[in-house]
Amino acid sequence: MTDTVERKSLTREDLLDVYRTMRTIREFEERVHAEFATGDIPGFVHLYAGEEASAAGVCSNLDDRDTIASTHRGHGHCIARGVDVAEMMAEIYGRRTGSCHGKGGSMHIADLSKGMLGANGIVGGGPPLICGTALAAKIKGTGGVSVAFFGDGGSNQGTTLESLNLASVWNLPAVFVAENNGYAETTSSTWSVASDNIADRAAGFGMPGVIVDGFDFFAAHEAAREAIARAREGGGPTLIEMKFTRYFGHFEGDQQTYRAGEVSHARAELDCLKRFADRVTETGELSRADLDAVDAEVAALIEAAVEAAKAAPLPTEADLLTDVYVRY
Amino acid sequence: MGDAVVGVVANPLSGRDIRRLVTQASVFPTAEKANMIQRMLTAFGAVGVHRVLLSTDLGGISAAVFRAIGRRRGQEPKYPRWPEVEFLDGQPIRQTAQDTVDAVRRMVTAGARVIVCLGGDGTARVAASAAGDVPLLALSTGTNNVFPAVREATVAGLAAGLIATGAVPAQGADGVTARAKLLEVRVGDRVETALVDVATSTERHVGARAIWDPATVTQLFCAFAEPDAIGLSAIAGQLLPVARHDPHGVTMRLAPDAARQVLAPIAPGLVVPVGVSSIERLEAGPVHHVDARAGVIAVDGERELAFGPGEHPAVRLRADGPWCVDVAAVLAASARLGLLERVRNFNPQGG
Repeated sequence: MTDTVERKSLTREDLLDVYRTMRTIREFEERVHAEFATGDIPGFVHLYAGEEASAAGVCSNLDDRDTIASTHRGHGHCIARGVDVAEMMAEIYGRRTGSCHGKGGSMHIADLSKGMLGANGIVGGGPPLICGTALAAKIKGTGGVSVAFFGDGGSNQGTTLESLNLASVWNLPAVFVAENNGYAETTSSTWSVASDNIADRAAGFGMPGVIVDGFDFFAAHEAAREAIARAREGGGPTLIEMKFTRYFGHFEGDQQTYRAGEVSHARAELDCLKRFADRVTETGELSRADLDAVDAEVAALIEAAVEAAKAAPLPTEADLLTDVYVRY
Repeated sequence: MGDAVVGVVANPLSGRDIRRLVTQASVFPTAEKANMIQRMLTAFGAVGVHRVLLSTDLGGISAAVFRAIGRRRGQEPKYPRWPEVEFLDGQPIRQTAQDTVDAVRRMVTAGARVIVCLGGDGTARVAASAAGDVPLLALSTGTNNVFPAVREATVAGLAAGLIATGAVPAQGADGVTARAKLLEVRVGDRVETALVDVATSTERHVGARAIWDPATVTQLFCAFAEPDAIGLSAIAGQLLPVARHDPHGVTMRLAPDAARQVLAPIAPGLVVPVGVSSIERLEAGPVHHVDARAGVIAVDGERELAFGPGEHPAVRLRADGPWCVDVAAVLAASARLGLLERVRNFNPQGG
């Protein structure tokens, strides 16, 4: 027998936290976009702007017992899970002060102390990882839930499909969040996903699958709340498909010749931050002044993170042999 | 007599919301929606429909039908005859209810004589708002299906086809089409309609849209309430049933701790006691203001309009809802008229 998890409604503080998370992700990504263009950032970056409601909606339902696995587009998940923003920025700049001492870069930001198993350069790499942590939580009886984020491209990987099967067979406390932003790199998901909706596949694995407007924080939060509570109660895994658009290219530098118009439409009409701000001010839960204060706080945070990252030292030759499993 | 034209609009998102997660509601995959349309095309072809106008979508339904038509090309004799299918593309697809509205409007303009709508109550509601006087045949591929019928698409296709060709007159004496009632909700300058029920909820946000927690519902207006319904109207259906063709509706106030409790299937997989503090007939015409100062209005089971203090949402039952096709009545008329009877041709001279 497991206890029924209480569904709490969002308090004023919760709403401020959510807004701060989404605004931090947006500012972080907009700034990385601008800085990347200067050539100072090494490696590849894949930006999460536009998808904030998913990371915030899911992670605002998690606690210290829980773990998440992310994707190559991982900054938003890291921030929503509470990874230090300055350390993230330093990591992206390849500096010694970064969350992985500057040796991982954007696609390997991880912080196990925050239950963040890492961004992941392997498409479909996250779902198998969370089957492991979910199994551990189940055996140890911690009540912890594990969440894997993956994209529409990742949804077609064998690793993801095997994980859905395993999680169902083992009745794991797992939640699979398919972030369908319409394109796997440059390939349209309307072409590449044979079931058209990723959520439709859930039935084949004997779990519920739901489609959520990924631009709407409240819809994402509510679906994630129920899926996470269900997993915690021993009810097994769920597949949630968030449908939305990414605001930037697949990677920075992507010319995006495969799409037109949808980003400006999404930014103007569907944007999760605008919709959130409109909603909470209409209901009177928060005021514009509350939101402006958060905006100022976040702007200062990002500015300081960039300044610190640029000033931080690069790893040295000696660092090459630290934090490795095998020393030759 | 112009062409016998049928419009078919299918909602790619119906049957996908949070109720799959919280109440084990059924799943309606895209492939099945596309199969239903193909079965209907066969029925349309059999009764002589000339042309079908099909909505387009990014969910894969129209694409699957398009591929099926392609597979038949050049090999038509092997297959049952299908009418010409015109895909209503060339208009932006927003992946919102507006897509259904746009498609239905185009069907009306293009002279559709009947519009078949695949979805749940939500889809039928949206299609009805744009159908004007063109009869609607709503088939269930959704979650809460009070308004649309759970019916085999082939049979529904025969009925729609017989109406479209005029073989069974839509406005004839057989009662093959009837005008449904409609609930209208006004919140400031926002207007929504419902075909089954309007509920006020204490939820603050539209969120995941579906209403699945009865404790949040404070007031309910039903255009009709059948004892065997699924969804919020089932509450009234057990206490003060109202038929679809009755001129009135029913309204009630709900409170979890009310003395009078009724066990009702308020969503698929959810049979719960609901406290009812008052229930009465709802006459067509008068405007009723809702009691709550703030909350969310749900239409046909989906949270749609958030409202705040000073907005005083108003609800009104109207008699001038959409014209709806009664599949059973159409096929009964067909039987009476012998429309599907054929005499087999044979030549007594041989050769």
